[in-house]
Amino acid sequence: MSVPEYTIMTVIGMILVVGLELFVFRSGIFGRAKYWAALSICLVFQCFVDGWLTKLSDPIVIYNPQGLSGIRFPWDIPIEDFGFGFAMITAVLMLWQWRLNRHAVASGGEST
Amino acid sequence: MSAFEYLLLMGACVLITLPLELFFRARVYRRWRTVLWALVPVIVVFCLWDVVAIARDHWVYNPRFVTGIHLGNLPLEELVFFIVIPLCALLSYEAVGTVLTAVRRRVRRGSLPHTDSSPRPASRSGPHERTDRRPESEGGGER
Repeated sequence: MSVPEYTIMTVIGMILVVGLELFVFRSGIFGRAKYWAALSICLVFQCFVDGWLTKLSDPIVIYNPQGLSGIRFPWDIPIEDFGFGFAMITAVLMLWQWRLNRHAVASGGEST
Repeated sequence: MSAFEYLLLMGACVLITLPLELFFRARVYRRWRTVLWALVPVIVVFCLWDVVAIARDHWVYNPRFVTGIHLGNLPLEELVFFIVIPLCALLSYEAVGTVLTAVRRRVRRGSLPHTDSSPRPASRSGPHERTDRRPESEGGGER
């Protein structure tokens, strides 16, 4: 196995979520400053939370070195975790905005 | 206490983001039905990812910092993680929306942001502004 599994799953997860937004749900989050700002804020906070979870000195989550690329930044965070975080955050914001859009259409109002 | 370390970290995330609901009008918890729509599929899919990753030995949890309570082979802490972190994301998203709306409104009115240092949007100061959208205006009877 040349490319580690967690690395592959992360890339697939990111592509799937982006594909779902662009071709299925079309919530429009990628066109909103709100999404990009919130994503940036979440990724910054992920550094602290995930940094605590993955710190090699006293880890809460212990990774199998064979499952990931081995690139850890910042601190000891496996770089894949940010792809995982991106996919999870984007998925939840996409579904949320998709529901809000439907409410707005149903009530004839505008979406926030 | 160290067995609760992971859970305490999740509790800290809830506490830190609570002001977004209380003071930045995120109104995420108040729209809990929409929250369920957004969260449940994500929780299911990412729990599955986690279960697969654990089964394929991508990672394990340090027994010192988790309670040891499992649902199948998924540690309780991971389920809590998949509930808490998406909630934090939603709170950030809506709080950013509140701030952006307030900033845009001020820009439109031509006043400068420094005229009011309050982090809350000046939603009760303008004559033309939309009123804070009430739950009933969103349909679906969200509370």
